[in-house]
Amino acid sequence: MAVELKTIQHLCELSKLNYDEAGLEKVMGEMGDIIDLMDTIKTFDLTYDDTKDNNSISLSEVREDVPQPSFPTEKLLSNAENRDNCYVVPKVVE
Amino acid sequence: MDITRAKIRDLRKALDSKQISAAELCGEYFKNIEAGDGKVQSFITVTKEKALEMAENAQKRIDSGDVSPLTGIPLAIKDNICTDGIKTTCASKMLENFIPPYNATVIEKLNAEGYVLLGKTSMDEFAMGGSTQTSAFAKTKNPYDLERVPGGSSGGSAAAVSASFAPAALGSDTGGSIRQPASFCGVTGIKPTYGRVSRYGLVAFASSLDQIGPICSDARDCAVMLNAICAHDPHDATSSRQPVPDFTEKLGQSVSGMKIAMPKEFYSDDIDDEVKTHVMNAAKTLEAQGAKLVECSIPGLKYAIPAYYLIACAEAASNLSRFDGIKYGFRGEGRTFEELIRDSRSKGFGEEVKRRILLGNYALSSGYYDAYYKKALALKQQIIKEYNAVFDLADVILTPTAPTPAYKIGAQDNDPVKMYLADICTVTVNIASLPGISTTCGYTAEGLPVGMSVIGRRFDEQTILQCADAFEQTFAPTAPAKL
Amino acid sequence: MSAYFPTIGLETHAELSTNSKVFCTCSAEFGGTPNSRCCPVCSGLPGTLPVLNRKAVEYIIKAGYVMNCDISRFTKWDRKNYFYPDLPKAYQISQMPRPVCLAGKVKINVKGEEKEIRINRIHLEEDAGKLVHDDVNRISLADYNRCGVPLIEIVTEPDFHSADEVVAYLEKIMLLLQYAGICDCKMEQGSIRCDVNISIAPKGSNELGTRTELKNLNSLKAIAKAIEVEIERQEELLDNGERVIQQTRRFNEALGETTAMRSKEDAHDYRYFPDPDIPPIILTEEELDEIRSSIPELPEQRVARYVEQCGIKKQDADLIVSDKKICDFYEEAIQAYDNPKAVANYVTGELLRRKNLGEVDMDDLKFSGREFAQLVEFLQTDKISQSNAKAILGEMIANGGTPKDIADAQDLWIKEDSDLLAKTVDEIIANNPKAAEQYRSGDQKVFGFFMGQANKALKGLASPKAIQEYIKKKLSE
Repeated sequence: MAVELKTIQHLCELSKLNYDEAGLEKVMGEMGDIIDLMDTIKTFDLTYDDTKDNNSISLSEVREDVPQPSFPTEKLLSNAENRDNCYVVPKVVE
Repeated sequence: MDITRAKIRDLRKALDSKQISAAELCGEYFKNIEAGDGKVQSFITVTKEKALEMAENAQKRIDSGDVSPLTGIPLAIKDNICTDGIKTTCASKMLENFIPPYNATVIEKLNAEGYVLLGKTSMDEFAMGGSTQTSAFAKTKNPYDLERVPGGSSGGSAAAVSASFAPAALGSDTGGSIRQPASFCGVTGIKPTYGRVSRYGLVAFASSLDQIGPICSDARDCAVMLNAICAHDPHDATSSRQPVPDFTEKLGQSVSGMKIAMPKEFYSDDIDDEVKTHVMNAAKTLEAQGAKLVECSIPGLKYAIPAYYLIACAEAASNLSRFDGIKYGFRGEGRTFEELIRDSRSKGFGEEVKRRILLGNYALSSGYYDAYYKKALALKQQIIKEYNAVFDLADVILTPTAPTPAYKIGAQDNDPVKMYLADICTVTVNIASLPGISTTCGYTAEGLPVGMSVIGRRFDEQTILQCADAFEQTFAPTAPAKL
Repeated sequence: MSAYFPTIGLETHAELSTNSKVFCTCSAEFGGTPNSRCCPVCSGLPGTLPVLNRKAVEYIIKAGYVMNCDISRFTKWDRKNYFYPDLPKAYQISQMPRPVCLAGKVKINVKGEEKEIRINRIHLEEDAGKLVHDDVNRISLADYNRCGVPLIEIVTEPDFHSADEVVAYLEKIMLLLQYAGICDCKMEQGSIRCDVNISIAPKGSNELGTRTELKNLNSLKAIAKAIEVEIERQEELLDNGERVIQQTRRFNEALGETTAMRSKEDAHDYRYFPDPDIPPIILTEEELDEIRSSIPELPEQRVARYVEQCGIKKQDADLIVSDKKICDFYEEAIQAYDNPKAVANYVTGELLRRKNLGEVDMDDLKFSGREFAQLVEFLQTDKISQSNAKAILGEMIANGGTPKDIADAQDLWIKEDSDLLAKTVDEIIANNPKAAEQYRSGDQKVFGFFMGQANKALKGLASPKAIQEYIKKKLSE
């Protein structure tokens, strides 16, 4: 099943990804095939119950509220364009 | 004999008895790397200087008698495990120049043992793939046949061990990424139970499925490695508080009376005949040692691929959102925040990573969530139930590790669906949080290794190590030709 | 009289006063140089993982109890995905289907009328960082110190119909959170902030109108004004036959108007899903009982205690309790000096008077409740005069110090010098023979005149009681 162009465009928007025209065409085809494969799960008819998962923990296993020294600012920013101890971000447009 | 083909436990003896120094030992591996890695391309970064420094420190410990099992042992580390001050790229242009300012917990644990870092190994970009051909920097080749893939995503780690560039390596496994390359490269790799090993410092692909584990030349070395890296970690809330046993404890014990289940869905027509034959022969070998073979079924397997890809990609889409070019990683161009992050992500990520991000956002987006993501979680519960039922009847499960042996480079290019379907034998183990080990059980007519997987109950790594080891003791592996 | 009926719902974010952040061990304290209270986890470095803070969970459970909520026995965390430069992971850890608290209620009192506001839910999440905009260079600078500070979001049902009700509710919950000891509620530091949803409908209509959302209001004054202005704007639209558009609006306090921030309703798909890094939590009855029993005395209970056990007027008790800082100060004072009525009188009469005049800053008080109590005790036991007590309090406010030391240093004690008293009063009576005669012939009113004269002349050197007794004795001779 082919995926609609507007669906792919919406996914690109959510994913913050750009494609040129040819790239978009190609990925549309690939995503169509992938989604066909994913659609096979639709015939499975059980429903999910999150209370039945076995990964819960008790409150006593949760970390205690004890602060530790923070990290050197310079080291944190070492992989970033930075100024005045801050990350530099281009203007945000609303 | 060639010391680079020795096991960790033999290297331990050689180091402790001063037959060789830690520096000389890592020098031997660097000789192999320099001679052969131009062809295999298993490393993204080789840390020779750092290694010699670490070896010298290890030697001081050895000389003073302060020795841990891995003191002075050289290891290769998959390039998605953060190493303080050493580039960690995830084989992605996005992180080409990323130098983590902190160590993963497993690295801290290995440091405490006094290990020696040989370098960072190649992988599929962000661990997304089964061929190591999506690596932006080193498209690793299979040491048994340089025209074939080493498997993936931990293909660099598996190839490095296979080619004797390292005695052991760490990999990570989200849907088979330790076991499948181990099987393609003729080595042994174990994915521990989810929660056994801390994920802190492992660059996340799919957080509910990712697990770090070792790739070694046999099960016994895997046990030694697990002893070093398994523990509860206060930095990882999903790391388990289960007591950690000595993983070498059951090695050498007879499998007599052990019940081995062989779910019929794993032996279907979709599995290569040669692969099936070798795995079934291995089962017979174990049976001959007193194990009982049990027939059973995991019907949920038919939905496993979509369930796995929906869960993994949903988590990945979210996990990879932090790569925006601002805080670290590839910074594209743009006059506004929006333009900059779009450009950074579009140019920094490779095609397969982008497809998975798109798929993940599809599964999570409004109107699709119930039909895809939630359905996949329901299937996860079902698969867990089915495995539990099997473990009521048997102690371990035996399956092929991959439907085929290592395939030719390029065979799956441009066909993501074919690539996804190839994960059928391994993904359910991650979905059900189980431990699984792959070891070589034979070679094809062309001389390619075939791997079998032994799957155990949660937190029962000891029994699958015992079973894999019992088989290994009867099997004479053929190393690839020296490069 | 307006032809419309407004309906308002509130989402209030309150920062919890834990020591460390909600998902890492960095300090949660306000301030600090940019990115100095950060680590690989709250800065969103690859490979890092969140580890939940138990105190934050305990605090939100307390919040639930003081707002009469049901506490979930099974609770879990979700990721809210969106890109913004103040959010380093590009998702906020929050709670969607299984928040800690559900279905509560808070009683408010508006102009003497009691009303109940229903709470829809309270969930625990993490705060985002701060952006400082540099318009000259067209960039923003991101500081993640606030990233990961624990927040609770308190969501009400649309139960408000005026700005007054909203303000009364906010004052009430701020008081509850402060008394429960879980949030300092400093609006000016952003530790409590509010989003307001407003719609209007013609009176008598059963249907709600289209709503707008006012974001990030951070003072009660701004909230009240913004609501009034937005209601007027919507009324004008409807009166002119126009439609209200569902959108997020910003309140410009200087201009007194609201302006649209964004109206692309379909742009936001947060793709909530359970955070695989944080295990869900199962809460036991024992744990909940323990947390509930550790909640300190709440405002209503304190008022009742003051009225019933201390004999304080309800009005004064309300006044003291309405400010947590004052109330804690009062508690400390009555621990030191067991005369709750006298202390209450001096707190409401002197301390609050000066606070309202801006002379006292309770956040920067130079003396303790114990020292204040000492002052009240000196006054009650005639060791100092009223006027000197005021002078001493003034000195304590300005420079600190104990009442005793100040009275010593400035010689402000009542001396009870009977010779001086006798000499002074004798002189006054002698100088005012007419008045003395008036008193003796039965005109009691002039007694006050003698008291005033004597007080003035003695300047606190004798206690009013001693002066009174001596004048009475003298005039009856």
